[in-house]
Amino acid sequence: MTETAPKQEQENPLLEGLTLRRTPDPCVLVIFGASGDLTRRKLFPALYSLALRRLLPERFAVVGVARTDSSDDDFREQMKEAVQKHGRDEFRDEAWDTLAEGMRYVATDFADDGGEDKVVQVLNELDEQRGTAGNRVYYFAVPPDAISTLLREIGERRSSEGWTRMIVEKPFGRDLATAQELNAQIQQHFDESQIFRIDHYLGKETVQNLLALRFANGIFEPIWNRQFVDHVQITVAESIGIEGRASFYEQSGAIRDVFQNHLLQLVALTAMEPPIDFTADSVRNEKVKVLRSLHTPGPKHVVRGQYGRGYVEGEEVPGYREEEGVAADSLTETYVAAKLYVDNWRWADTPFYVRAGKRLARRETTIAIEFKRAPHPPFEVSDEDAGLRPNVLVCHIQPDEGVSLEFAAKVPGQGMSLRTVHMDFLYGGAFRTAIPEAYERLLLDCLLGDATLFTRADEVEEQWALVDAIVGFWKRDKPSFPNYAAGTWGPGASEELLRRDGRTWRRH
Amino acid sequence: MATALGSIAEIDRELALRRVDPDTGEPFQRTSVMTHLAWVPSEWVEAAEDVLSGLAERHPSRTIVLVPDGGVADGLEAEVEVDCFPSGGERQVCVETIRVRLCGARAGVPASVVQPLLLPDLPVFLRWRGMPPFGEQPFEELLDVVDRLIVDSTEWPGVPGDYERLTEVFDRVVVSDIAWARTSRWRPHLASLWPGIAEVRRIKVEGTAAQAHLLAGWLRSRLGHDVELEHEQADKLVGVDLDGEPASLPPGESPDPADLLSDELDRFSRDRVYEEAVRAAV
Repeated sequence: MTETAPKQEQENPLLEGLTLRRTPDPCVLVIFGASGDLTRRKLFPALYSLALRRLLPERFAVVGVARTDSSDDDFREQMKEAVQKHGRDEFRDEAWDTLAEGMRYVATDFADDGGEDKVVQVLNELDEQRGTAGNRVYYFAVPPDAISTLLREIGERRSSEGWTRMIVEKPFGRDLATAQELNAQIQQHFDESQIFRIDHYLGKETVQNLLALRFANGIFEPIWNRQFVDHVQITVAESIGIEGRASFYEQSGAIRDVFQNHLLQLVALTAMEPPIDFTADSVRNEKVKVLRSLHTPGPKHVVRGQYGRGYVEGEEVPGYREEEGVAADSLTETYVAAKLYVDNWRWADTPFYVRAGKRLARRETTIAIEFKRAPHPPFEVSDEDAGLRPNVLVCHIQPDEGVSLEFAAKVPGQGMSLRTVHMDFLYGGAFRTAIPEAYERLLLDCLLGDATLFTRADEVEEQWALVDAIVGFWKRDKPSFPNYAAGTWGPGASEELLRRDGRTWRRH
Repeated sequence: MATALGSIAEIDRELALRRVDPDTGEPFQRTSVMTHLAWVPSEWVEAAEDVLSGLAERHPSRTIVLVPDGGVADGLEAEVEVDCFPSGGERQVCVETIRVRLCGARAGVPASVVQPLLLPDLPVFLRWRGMPPFGEQPFEELLDVVDRLIVDSTEWPGVPGDYERLTEVFDRVVVSDIAWARTSRWRPHLASLWPGIAEVRRIKVEGTAAQAHLLAGWLRSRLGHDVELEHEQADKLVGVDLDGEPASLPPGESPDPADLLSDELDRFSRDRVYEEAVRAAV
């Protein structure tokens, strides 16, 4: 006679075929910098959208921490207004009430004696009241110089129960040395699996779609290399200015604000080899190889710019030096363009032209893969004479999310006239569900402990190494700023960067 | 006024005309991820239109609504519609709906009308309203051209007996049942009662007959023993008792019919658990 295992030990047969969503463990999310813009514009709208879709754990709480005096009720009211103003979903009282029930506010400064005790006390209360079991996610929505103190205090006072994770906003350091210092501090108290360095670009659906485009289709990878690709252009253009963030921007400039993180991550995703799977380390291992092999051929292949007065969408806007809080002789760059090379077998000698800037002609983030021309078109009129452009595959990250392919087609009629036409795939056209905000995806991934879409210590350090090299070039001379008018596509030197290689930036 | 079209060529011509913005002469952006066929006998037209109106925006597809009308002279009476939806910025995407009245003998040979209108290389879903006439030509013909059959066994008069015929098509086409989808909130909830639910012998379901029989079939097939069913009629699934004890209500709200059909259009693979539940329900 065979023995039957007790039912408790048997696999549950009723689960077969059910698509069960992973639910995060009960936990408390602690937001340092709770009175800041990021919390209001991004974090709480994202939390609300997750709550509305029942993606948060049932036993969940949020503790806002900031220096500003406020109460739990005032904090709830302020965040409710923020969700109503900035949220993507219709506001529903019942969803908000569920989230608000677990919200607390602590007015404290960690630089003060005992400041951290107030937070620990509230966290312990929440563990008892809401069953959050000592699990913590700490979100550092604070300036970089405040992070060290927080890390030390949290490390020393971490709960002996449950898990601890930390989300660190960019910029992670301000150069290679400070990034390494910060990583070393983290490693004193925590291991890499507990750190989630956020780059919200990686949470964008269309950035992830780049991986789907490359690795879920058989037709692109065979031609995604130096044999077929003439060059790559990556543009992260903003039409807005610094939006009152002068003190931050004066310190960072375009190279630390966008180039070091978003732009280099886009380069890494475009150039990386196929990962063996979609786990955090497999993806990040491939990205870091690209970042390690990046170089720029020299100072004349990097362009910096600063916008002057100009017109954006018909409205006159001030120059950077006229913005409130900006020094009248500021040398901070609001634009950076560079020619980069990825020194590996796949991409050797294939230039990656990248640019990022503020107050440009339009908001647009794109990755354009420009292919080599057909070797011998058998038509009487040459491609150039016919105005034919090479084939370009463009990934539109934002806005108009999607993918387009430019190719030559015959113009109807007698003879063989050719014209470049576009074939467009609109992301929102094929998938009519609303695209989740990047912060929703990233917050949820962190609650679930999935670090795939976060940057690892070695990636950040490689990114800073390149930035340090560029900043090193810039120390040798003093730029003549402003050198481009707001509402244009940047300084003339940026056009020259491509022109001397016989290329041009894509027309928009 | 809608244009009555009498042939496939006329339908194609009209579609081509409507793909261009009459004000600018520019072509619309067209998007399709599937061909969605709907077999809608006249008594189901109103209900079908309600569901379809919520569906086009979420699943851009070419929708072909087939309305059989065998009692009149042979012929096709078709009209086409191009609906555009905003898609970020100033762009719009447009989807096509073709409504075809299959008159007289044409109602018996729908595949020959449908085949030339299918979008190449994209999956074809067939939503069959009411009880499919298993073994009859129109249904059998269409089964051969579609990838997935979507039914709602709540619309059938004689479950669980009607399921007998359904099981015969499982090896020919992937089947979705909206009645089964309507139990989707309850199944994970009941599964969460494991291991307490392992020995349940009696289930009482307050809901439609289809939901009751499918839930009972699911428990029988998964647990591997008989589970006696007591059914109390209700328009939707509102309660389940296990061995006389009421189960708590699952979280969330019942989805609406357009959501249910929309979810089924996202699925492409065969649902073995459903098939076994149907077999065990008979």
